[in-house]
Amino acid sequence: MSSLLKKLFGTLMQKPWEENQAAIDSTHQGYTFDLSNQMSAVIIIFGVSTTLFSLLFTGYIYSLPPEQDTTFIIKKNLLWINTLVLIFVTFYFNKIRSDLEKNITNKIKLNIIIVGGLSYLFLFLQILFWFQLMNDGYFVSNNTYFSSYYFFTGLHGIHLLGGLFFWGKVSSRIFSLPEKEFVNERKNINALSVYWLFLFIVWLAFFGLMFMFNDAVIAWCKELIS
Amino acid sequence: MSEEFNDNKTIQAQSSEVMTGGAAGATPDMDYVRPAEIPEQDLYHAHSFITKWVFCQDAKVIGVQYFLLATFTGIVGLILSWLMRLQLGFPGLAGFMTAEHYYQFVTMHGMIMVVYFLTALFLGGFGNYLIPLMVGARDMVFPYVNMISFWMFFIAVAVLMASFFVPGGPTGAGWTLYPPQTILEGTPGSGMGILLMLISLSLFVIGFTMGGLNYMITVLQARTRGMTLMRMPLTVWGIFTATVLAMLAFPALLVSAIMMTLDKVLGTSFFMPTILKAGEVLEYGGGSPILFQHLFWFFGHPEVYIVALPAFGIVSDLISVHARKNIFGYRMMVWAIVGIGALSFFVWAHHMYVSGMNPWFGFFFATTTLIIAVPTAMKVYNWILTLWRGNIRINTVMLWCLGFIVTFVNGGITGIFLGNVSVDVPLSDTYFVIAHFHMVMGIAPLMVIMGAVYHWFPLVAGRMLDETLGKWHFWITFLGAYSIYFPMHYLGFIGVPRRYFEMYDSPYMTSAVGMNEFISLAAFIVGAAQFILIFNIIKTLKTGKAAGQNPWKANSLEWYTSTVPPEHGNFGDRLPVVHRWPYDFSVPGAKDDFIPQTTPPSEVVHTEVEKT
Repeated sequence: MSSLLKKLFGTLMQKPWEENQAAIDSTHQGYTFDLSNQMSAVIIIFGVSTTLFSLLFTGYIYSLPPEQDTTFIIKKNLLWINTLVLIFVTFYFNKIRSDLEKNITNKIKLNIIIVGGLSYLFLFLQILFWFQLMNDGYFVSNNTYFSSYYFFTGLHGIHLLGGLFFWGKVSSRIFSLPEKEFVNERKNINALSVYWLFLFIVWLAFFGLMFMFNDAVIAWCKELIS
Repeated sequence: MSEEFNDNKTIQAQSSEVMTGGAAGATPDMDYVRPAEIPEQDLYHAHSFITKWVFCQDAKVIGVQYFLLATFTGIVGLILSWLMRLQLGFPGLAGFMTAEHYYQFVTMHGMIMVVYFLTALFLGGFGNYLIPLMVGARDMVFPYVNMISFWMFFIAVAVLMASFFVPGGPTGAGWTLYPPQTILEGTPGSGMGILLMLISLSLFVIGFTMGGLNYMITVLQARTRGMTLMRMPLTVWGIFTATVLAMLAFPALLVSAIMMTLDKVLGTSFFMPTILKAGEVLEYGGGSPILFQHLFWFFGHPEVYIVALPAFGIVSDLISVHARKNIFGYRMMVWAIVGIGALSFFVWAHHMYVSGMNPWFGFFFATTTLIIAVPTAMKVYNWILTLWRGNIRINTVMLWCLGFIVTFVNGGITGIFLGNVSVDVPLSDTYFVIAHFHMVMGIAPLMVIMGAVYHWFPLVAGRMLDETLGKWHFWITFLGAYSIYFPMHYLGFIGVPRRYFEMYDSPYMTSAVGMNEFISLAAFIVGAAQFILIFNIIKTLKTGKAAGQNPWKANSLEWYTSTVPPEHGNFGDRLPVVHRWPYDFSVPGAKDDFIPQTTPPSEVVHTEVEKT
């Protein structure tokens, strides 16, 4: 972060009209960061999605019904199982990435299938959880607590589906390539694995928010302040 | 991540050789340029009419598509404003006009002009056309995604326009779409109208995100050799910073649009408090309408700068080229663009002074609002100092630029009035606000658009627009706009309220009747004057003078393409190599009064570049 700020401010301080600076500038290659376009795209999507989810979290905190038990949803076992599935997906994606860096290619195909399978399983379990909630009488319109939950998981799921679309494209290329050429897909795999990590972090943030933001915590904070 | 380019480092793009050139006395490695590390972009070359002109991946064609579609929406917005002025100036003359119609026209006019016209035109139109050309790229980095972006915008516009034809008509809730009344019966268009508006906005944001991704990565990662960030023209800085703002601000619009859609369709209560209707409690409850206001203005205020920053950048370049002088305080101009962009996220609640917020909250936002005036004023000083002792060409482009500076200062000053809570509260619901934001966000950016059209049309079409028609266009628009908005400030001061379908009978209202008639007549004339440009374009395309290459003798790369208009890929076999910033005008000792960015140092060894 500090190097990024240093780079930013260093750039803004340049005087492009000066002879010395011009000589330096003329050797510039034309790119700002040593990143592939795919990775740059993922990082920008991070920024956009982080804003999106942050505003959603703010809305959740802003309009939480006072009578609602905020830990109600995370008391359900299925949600913990879903979180576990997401941890496994992130783990396997990271493994694919590190294997590619070490040029270990014999398990790439298997791990890619595991990643996709677990991601679809996560989505399926999420929908199952929605049905569980609805069967128990907790609908999207019950109150803003449940509205926020359905909305967040819906958006999170759409982001995951978007990722799965690109996962499909990359895996179809991997399956059509000989093992020694897997390395050509490294940029795409790196970008996708970072994207999955981001989705995992967003999930944890919401999970943590539901866990943390309850009457007891609010009372504790007030006590601290007073 | 750091080794990601290692794969490419051995690749030396054949089409990126060092530009040759040389003068006596030049040292041998004065023009040295490192071999290219980034491989040539693999472009999709269209063969059929459909892939070349309809579903096209060339950023220039996409830019023109954006421009034309945004202009179409702008004309719809203009016609709506005529209808509104007809009612306000001459009540009853348009027999079909009911109060519901009036509110629907107000709403659609506002939303169309801000989002579908100005934003789409500046970022989609100018962004697509100019970014790759100005940074020396062959195209955007993801051309296919770029194409999808335009077609998402097309669908968004189609959905929005469809709302004119559904039962109940388009929404009439005001362009801010404040809940709860927006989705409740009694508000015009509270059925399908508002739903289509919300869907259209969501599609617009998704489409824009695809485009914005392209603009950002192309600027950051796909520039040509020698093109550092601080050698980019201010136009690119303005569009780039506005894109960053849009990428961070539009999610707020998307979230609020989806939440309101859910409130309307599924009965959630994100923005809906407990409501009594005809003595009965509705099923809504527990939501907050103020939350919507925060979300909306978290998007809405940066939106002002999403429109303004590209305008700032473009006008800086136009002034520099047509005053034959380097831009005064280039670094300060960049800092101001970036600073305004950052500050724009801390001022949103100055739109909510009358929402009943905590006074300290208002104090905070009034302070940040006044702080943002500092970098903005710096820009104005720098434009004036660029003009100072410049070799000014009083052509149509320069007239629009001068018109912009005056109008922007005017609108900015009234913004300082409204940034103060104690002044804003009594003026908030009056015509003073209408006058302020139309000056600063309507007329001022429009003048830059017009200047930019006259400036870059020769590049797009290869022909020069007619100067005489251009000057008529400018003077009618400039004088007409002031005839509309100056009196509106006065109407606001005497307390004439905005958003009223017809003025009730009271002394100060009746005193405004004549002025309202005058404003309406001026509005009809100014609106009609815009068709001079359309006539000029058609006439020029048929019989206009050929522009040739670089008719304005500018320095930036878009004028140094292999052909005029530029073909797909922009720069022929060789990508340009940049040796200097784009503002070397009237350099002492130089043969011409401009030195293009591609001119190597050896060709200008006896000039005093640093003394410009």
